[in-house]
Amino acid sequence: MSSSMLRQLVLAILFALVSISEAYAHCFVGNRFFPATLNVDDPCVADELSLPTVSAFKNSDLPTSDFPSARQLDISGELSKRITDNFGISFGSTWSRLHPPGGPNASGFQNLETSAKLQFLTDPARELVMSAALEVEWGNTGAARVGAESFSTITPTFFIGKGLGDLPDSLRWARPFAVTGQFGYAIPSKSFKLVPGEIDPETGEQEFETERRAKFLVYGGSVQYSMPYLKANVVDLGLPDFINRLIPIVEAQFQTPAGNSFDTGLGTTGTINPGVMWVGNYFQLAVEAIIPINRASGSGVGVMGQLHFYLDDIFPRSIGRPIFSSTTIPAGRPTFGN
Amino acid sequence: MRISALLAVLLSLVTATATAHAHAALDRANPRVGSTVGVAPRTVSLWFTENLEPAFSTIEVRNAAGARVDQGRARGSGNLMQVGLKPLPPGTYQVRWRVLSVDTHRTEGSFSFQVGQ
Repeated sequence: MSSSMLRQLVLAILFALVSISEAYAHCFVGNRFFPATLNVDDPCVADELSLPTVSAFKNSDLPTSDFPSARQLDISGELSKRITDNFGISFGSTWSRLHPPGGPNASGFQNLETSAKLQFLTDPARELVMSAALEVEWGNTGAARVGAESFSTITPTFFIGKGLGDLPDSLRWARPFAVTGQFGYAIPSKSFKLVPGEIDPETGEQEFETERRAKFLVYGGSVQYSMPYLKANVVDLGLPDFINRLIPIVEAQFQTPAGNSFDTGLGTTGTINPGVMWVGNYFQLAVEAIIPINRASGSGVGVMGQLHFYLDDIFPRSIGRPIFSSTTIPAGRPTFGN
Repeated sequence: MRISALLAVLLSLVTATATAHAHAALDRANPRVGSTVGVAPRTVSLWFTENLEPAFSTIEVRNAAGARVDQGRARGSGNLMQVGLKPLPPGTYQVRWRVLSVDTHRTEGSFSFQVGQ
């Protein structure tokens, strides 16, 4: 790449970072509000705090599982902060407690996870939003006894969200539907590691075997039906306020080995997560089932719940604003062209 | 120790919401969202979940052909915004609102109502 092309690329990225947008904040795109989802990330950058997210499930009973048939409790938190209107970072950590059948319990933190995300397309008229992120799980920052890996994993990820508010009048009842999706490629920082094997009977020396670390396609999405959207933009049925704040949702997340996976015996794993969210003015509550798609993904149905705070609403003039914002708080009365 | 720290964070956030202002969502409208009314309304009134900055908030009402049928500048105070209407013949009308809540967040929405059909 020539120096002029590099300079143009840098300028294009800087322009995208500081391009003018208005202060819609936590995932409002035109008439649409995309709630924070539990298993896949929502397609916006925002100032928000998920604390706590609690999940309880049972690991796969296959012997290839790290902790066969162990019951697992995860409690996690994640803080997201906008640096500019369109660019944000997040930090997350999970504490796990494992109950293996007949074995001693183990507990500890999983590896630290960070993300840097750029919301590069926001189309209010089409209720369409797209983002790209670089997600990193930092190796050796968690406890190996609960499965934290010793290597880091970098996952470039693309996010998309689309509301169906532009459907014709004949399909207006479907306008509250929205879909989100994410597609990533998880790349471990090391492609293999040496693990101790058998002792050579002739030489008496320790032999080592190569254990591959596969690359994965990581993908998923959600289908959601927004009762707030129905009430405000389609038809007000006079339902109780509690009902008008619900968003029934089905999430799904999968990972498929896509490279360096020969002879690892790995296959696609994932979960389907039907549930419901309640959206308040300052926070949202969600509960979802965890249904593994196959034996390698888990055994039995688990459950997860989340309390999620909208920091931009709770602290709109301080930590809830981007550090560098192109949006100013209006100070005068404008002239209208009505 | 960690549990108490977690509870302290949660308590401080819940306390902060008592004095905070959120995004303004449409709470109710007259004519009601998606309704059919027998008599043409003379105004469209929108109530929001938060107080607004009326100077930075707008309401437009258009007929099926896309022509403006409101009387121009919307007015309001508190969480109410209103705009007057020209005499409306039977038909379908689209209301599009765009408001700024007192916490400086923009929200927008649209809905339709019918007159006399």
